[in-house]
Amino acid sequence: MLPVWMENTDSYVPPGGGGTFAVKTIRSISAAVGKLQFQQGRESKPFLPAAARLLLLLALILLLSLSRHLLVLLACTALAMMALAALPPDRILSVWKSALAAALLAFLVLLPAMLLRPAGRGNNLIIIWKIFISVQMVSIFNHTTQWNRITSALRRLHVPGVFIFTIDISLKYIVLLGRLINDLLTSYLLRAVGKNKQKYTSVGGVMGVVFLRGTEMNRQMYEAMVCRGFTDDYEGL
Amino acid sequence: MHIPENYLAPAACGVMTAAMVPVWAHAIKRVRLDLPKDKLPMIGVGASFSFLAMMFNVPLVGGTTGHAVGGTLAALLFGPDAACIAVSTALLLQALIFGDGGILAFGANCFNMAFVLPYLGYFIYQLITRAFGGSEKAGTGIRCMAAAIGSYIGINAAAFCAAVEFGIQPLLFTDSMGNALYCPYDLSIAIPAMMIPHLAVAGLIEAAFTAAVYAFVDRTAPDLIYENIRSGKTPKGISHIPVFALMAVMIALTPLGLLAAGTAWGEWGAEEIAEVVTNGTPLGYTPQGLLNGWSLNVPLPDYALEGMPETAAYILSAVIGASLLIILFKLFSLIPARRKV
Repeated sequence: MLPVWMENTDSYVPPGGGGTFAVKTIRSISAAVGKLQFQQGRESKPFLPAAARLLLLLALILLLSLSRHLLVLLACTALAMMALAALPPDRILSVWKSALAAALLAFLVLLPAMLLRPAGRGNNLIIIWKIFISVQMVSIFNHTTQWNRITSALRRLHVPGVFIFTIDISLKYIVLLGRLINDLLTSYLLRAVGKNKQKYTSVGGVMGVVFLRGTEMNRQMYEAMVCRGFTDDYEGL
Repeated sequence: MHIPENYLAPAACGVMTAAMVPVWAHAIKRVRLDLPKDKLPMIGVGASFSFLAMMFNVPLVGGTTGHAVGGTLAALLFGPDAACIAVSTALLLQALIFGDGGILAFGANCFNMAFVLPYLGYFIYQLITRAFGGSEKAGTGIRCMAAAIGSYIGINAAAFCAAVEFGIQPLLFTDSMGNALYCPYDLSIAIPAMMIPHLAVAGLIEAAFTAAVYAFVDRTAPDLIYENIRSGKTPKGISHIPVFALMAVMIALTPLGLLAAGTAWGEWGAEEIAEVVTNGTPLGYTPQGLLNGWSLNVPLPDYALEGMPETAAYILSAVIGASLLIILFKLFSLIPARRKV
């Protein structure tokens, strides 16, 4: 026998607009996480081993920054342009976006100097050009090399293990925690009916859960690594 | 054949640019309809070939220099509309970065080398192959010959247009002394001075270059030939490495273009034009337009930088130019085509 209140039909229609906050957040977080995962790099056939490429990249950037000879600038430009021309169109766009953003920033920083001292404009433009080419080279390297190859290349170049460890784990955990936030928001969305006036109170809850889960994952991973014989030395993946 | 800054009156430049605007609009529209999307990034290859061809200066009769343009080749590879865009882009890079050809004269240069040359060259090519029963029936030999003849006529027509543009300047624009304001040579001098070297040498070089590269691409990468693209009978998965290898060889050979000493006819600087000897008499004055004209400070004037070995700078210029063209056309292919309403 059902109670009486269950037999009645409710005429409750939830006001619209509930949960848009969660939907928007989920979308932006998914986009960011997707981008991060995409940028892990998909390489076709490595032209040079990652370690050699990393060394070459560092050498070129050093050369480009230190040299005053314009021929070096021109040669680096030619090299960077050649490497860029070999990439697929969408990669070229994303490489140029980051390089142009860096060049624009450099331009804004140097703008007062260029306005106040017109005689030095040529040199300032060369600096901006050098920044553009350097960022372009780093970006090309990033786009053509998988992340795990970069870490092992760093290790081969005798970068202290703890640095690589930190970078590597934080990159992986950004993705993991991003997914966790995504799941939390989805479950919040499914349970949220109607309009919530105090939607920002849930942000604190989500953050708190993420923090707790994060520390727990951290502890679990360290224990798992110790169980597998981790002796605080990082040999690359 | 690059008309430099201040050789044409600004009014003339305006007219030529206005004439080119509908051509560009038509070409961009047609290219999107004609070419499959995966071929769009490859137009950069045609543009690079054209750019590199223009770096090979050859000495011509009368102490001037000239070069091939490769416009007909680009038309054979990707169609005349794509060739128009490709050569225009190559010319724009040359004007903006290397100071070859003027910014104001960009419209006129495009009219000669990106409009007259590829469309006419390709038209002649089609006429000849049709006479032999269509390009499919005609063998490779006939197609190469048609390409050579088409490019020869194309580049000479372009040179003729440039000569006329030069030649009408002194008839239209003079100062109170009767001296020309811009280009000082009228039609009676400009036409023979441009046409004889082009008919005798530069045209032949253009023809040889076009036929050779066309034959090479036809053999190694038939999916990059316009007729095969249109008929849709292109086998998939052909490696384009030989084409890029050819480009690398051309880049390595560009310093040969430095061997040709002297300035191309109609491309003198303001400081040398007074001493240019025509029919035994030097010009004797510097046209006002050239003296006080506007000019842009380009990053790599004449494909070189001061205090830098000429050959190295020339090769690096070639690499940068060719790569930039490929990059630009790859980016061009990303722009979504406007949907038909």
